[in-house]
Amino acid sequence: MHELSLAQNIIDSVLSEADRREAKRVLEIHLDVGELMQLDRKTLLFGLKLLVTGPVLGGAHVHVHLKKASFSCRKCSHEWDMAEAKKQLATVPDGLLIREPDSKELPLHFLPYLYPAFVHCPKCGSSDVSAEDGKEVQLTKLVMESRR
Amino acid sequence: MREDRPIEVAGARDRLSSIGRVVMVGSGKGGVGKSVVACGLAISLSQRGYRTGLLDLDIHGASVPEYLGVGPPVKSSKEGLEPKSSDGLKVMSIGLFTGSNPVPMRGSEKQNLITLLFGLTNWGELDYLVVDLPPSMGDELLSAFGLFGRKSTLILVTTPSPAAVAVVSRLRRLSETENIPVTGVALNMAYMKNGKTKTFPFGRLDSGVLEQRLKSRIIAEIPLEPMVSAQELGRALSRRADFSRAFVSIIRRVQEQSNDGDLAHRTSVVGR
Repeated sequence: MHELSLAQNIIDSVLSEADRREAKRVLEIHLDVGELMQLDRKTLLFGLKLLVTGPVLGGAHVHVHLKKASFSCRKCSHEWDMAEAKKQLATVPDGLLIREPDSKELPLHFLPYLYPAFVHCPKCGSSDVSAEDGKEVQLTKLVMESRR
Repeated sequence: MREDRPIEVAGARDRLSSIGRVVMVGSGKGGVGKSVVACGLAISLSQRGYRTGLLDLDIHGASVPEYLGVGPPVKSSKEGLEPKSSDGLKVMSIGLFTGSNPVPMRGSEKQNLITLLFGLTNWGELDYLVVDLPPSMGDELLSAFGLFGRKSTLILVTTPSPAAVAVVSRLRRLSETENIPVTGVALNMAYMKNGKTKTFPFGRLDSGVLEQRLKSRIIAEIPLEPMVSAQELGRALSRRADFSRAFVSIIRRVQEQSNDGDLAHRTSVVGR
């Protein structure tokens, strides 16, 4: 469900940018999706393709790229990846999971920056951890045809 | 012509357009009762028929859920994250996602978290959004100023303690440099009342000196209510006339400042 509302936000941003840049048409939309959010790529693409219509967006190619998350500990400098973090996220109590109409999702699905509340260093146990990349959805590139 | 350009995705501006006025409650100082004042103000507005939201921006020490008796889990819909309802008041807080987990967080990630939390919440149409600011003048406060600046006002909360006033005066100066309008000062824990006798457990400050120091008028003197707890806040507002009157005074000043216009009508409801 979040993927569909996210798709709408993305398309709103694309249209806003196309208007600002006086684009006649948008030809390509390139998107980075952060791994921490654990979005369903197929659902997001489905939502985007439903919305890529009309004189400005019609026919635009949508490219969704998964941006990997990597973690490091500020205390002991240990580094780990999402596979390791997922083991910890699997222990998040059911009572904290966000209730979607047909499923339950981790808070990070909506608020990826909350990772320090749920991910800790698998080596020393510290919660003073840092996640590089993988925390956001970002339009990385638009290919547009100018009105001029 | 072809152009490549990175763009950030955010929906906070759209949410803000559906909100009449943002009332930030801050102090810069911890322990002066900001959250009680923010909750009391939000409840008072909601009880008077205003569509009201309460956003708790204390990432590390969220206490609003405790005061209002709400907790996880949060539901989502196609409109976003659904705020918790406390007798019609819409409440959102990081505490609703983290429960008893600590939230150790640094720097700019807090700004992104705040923008997302506000932007993803399905506030709907609101007359007022009350924002409970955390202590200090760090990322959370600056993020709130940046997000809400144009349509916000700030209530300065202090106790009669000179130490508290010294810190609040720094926030007052910051509000000037950041062009955030200030409605006035809520003097919290101003006195205790036992029958008709008032006592001043935290001392008394000359109101003229205080107003001069903070360059703002005192708009409410809120009594210390020892009974105010998670379950008692709403009850104290309905049973303790002095306590309730202080929040009515704050509402009146916010409305006078923004010329909302329907004060006379609402006051008749307030006066019941």
